[in-house]
Amino acid sequence: MLLVEDVYAGYGLSEVLLGTSLAVKPGTVVALIGANGAGKTTTMRAISGLIRPARGRVLLDGEPVGGLPASRIARLGLAHAPEGRKVFGTLCVEDNLLLGAYGRLPRFFGFRGRAAADLERVYGLFPRLRERRRQLAGTLSGGEQQMLAIGRALMARPKVMLLDEPSMGLAPVIVQEVFRTIRQLKAEGMTMLLVEQFAKTALEVADYAYVMERGRIAIEGTPAELRRDERLLAAYLG
Amino acid sequence: MPASIVAQMAISGALMGLVYALIAYGFQLTYATSKSINFGQGELVMVSAFFSLTLLDLGLSYWLVLPAGLLFGAALGLVVERAGVRLALEQKSEGWILLTIILGLFFFSAAENIWGRDDRPFPTPIPSDSIHVLGVDVTPLELSVAVGVLAVMGLIELLKRRTLLGKAFEAVSVDRDAGELMGISAKRTVMLSYALSGAVAALAGILVSPITTVGPTMASALVLKAFSVAVVAGLDSGFGVVLVGMFLGALETLASFYVGSGWREAPGLVLLILALAVRPTGVFGKAAIRKV
Repeated sequence: MLLVEDVYAGYGLSEVLLGTSLAVKPGTVVALIGANGAGKTTTMRAISGLIRPARGRVLLDGEPVGGLPASRIARLGLAHAPEGRKVFGTLCVEDNLLLGAYGRLPRFFGFRGRAAADLERVYGLFPRLRERRRQLAGTLSGGEQQMLAIGRALMARPKVMLLDEPSMGLAPVIVQEVFRTIRQLKAEGMTMLLVEQFAKTALEVADYAYVMERGRIAIEGTPAELRRDERLLAAYLG
Repeated sequence: MPASIVAQMAISGALMGLVYALIAYGFQLTYATSKSINFGQGELVMVSAFFSLTLLDLGLSYWLVLPAGLLFGAALGLVVERAGVRLALEQKSEGWILLTIILGLFFFSAAENIWGRDDRPFPTPIPSDSIHVLGVDVTPLELSVAVGVLAVMGLIELLKRRTLLGKAFEAVSVDRDAGELMGISAKRTVMLSYALSGAVAALAGILVSPITTVGPTMASALVLKAFSVAVVAGLDSGFGVVLVGMFLGALETLASFYVGSGWREAPGLVLLILALAVRPTGVFGKAAIRKV
């Protein structure tokens, strides 16, 4: 369970989030949609600790995590596949995946064996990554990098997963593939917060959705409710 | 002048050059994790050497002093990180440049006050009588420098490539935020890199001191050349600093013999200027060095 309560955050003097609140219940997929600059990515970064909330609370399974370093929050069970994927380009695919499980693996020896089951699971989900496991992540295509970013997040066996714009810059076929994976993870019971520019596609997988405007949640509801909202239809769902 | 004597001098010089390579490697270690380097690295070399000499004077065995000196260097590295680097990096400022220079000056004055201004010999159990190896005369002392430098750099490189901790080190150097999202503490990684860098500086001091003697001023000459090596080789290739270090060491010995001993420092400076003008990323480097 992820709770965001009245969070204010930003970069230096520019405040982006002006009292954002949202909840992601266990086993559900929640979509966060809104125009560019509304604060979707900033919300994600404030949750995972990449920026420190100036006010408000972030709770992961009831435990306040706001203000902790991102590495601590990650070890508490929050995985964040960031905007732009951010794979480690100079490391091979398998090393990227292993680092996803960094928090619970031995540092020096035997880490490969301890992660074998998780690697199998990710390779089962993305057979393409198995084929390219020795290849440097920087040489992968955009779609493969996105799969790697999701796979890397899964390696942590997270309680909650944040996916920021997983479809960004990808060909429509690949976007379909990414969403197929998201549906599969949802079927397995993964809790996810999904930021998406393709609001329509996001609402198809989501159980609940929030629409952001200028640093606040403007509208919220189930996808069915949001589809009935005239304003929203006009602005985002075309 | 027989060719064998030229080869002889070149090899002696190249072995000394490995000390520059080791100090340059210390720059690379911290640059990788934090894009910062300790401009007082030479003072770490010198203070660690004096500390080790004091332990030797107390009667401790060389083989006990060696690890103690490395630990001391690592501790000094942590002091530099805490006092000179962390706050500046947190504020995304370049203040670490001035702060590490100031810390270096502080260590220099402290060393002068504690150990005096004179150069002192550094006893070692490793003999300095020449032996004949593969057609050239070298001293076991010179060989110990080569073995020490290559063993430690090899070990660190092996750790970086084969262990998860090493991969985490690489991850933080590629993308600090993404590393944090994996649960890797960037702060601890930077601390580790400064500790390693300090230990490597101490090793350089312990290896070179029996050959050069220990004194407060040993730092400046060593570090200027190490800096040239780092800039010429680039700040991300361990292999590069070894090659450039040996090349510079050989060049220096030959320059001081053929041109005059006053010209000993010239090749390093010429290489530095050439590298900055022609190829600021270094011969083996990928990352552009910001000229500051």
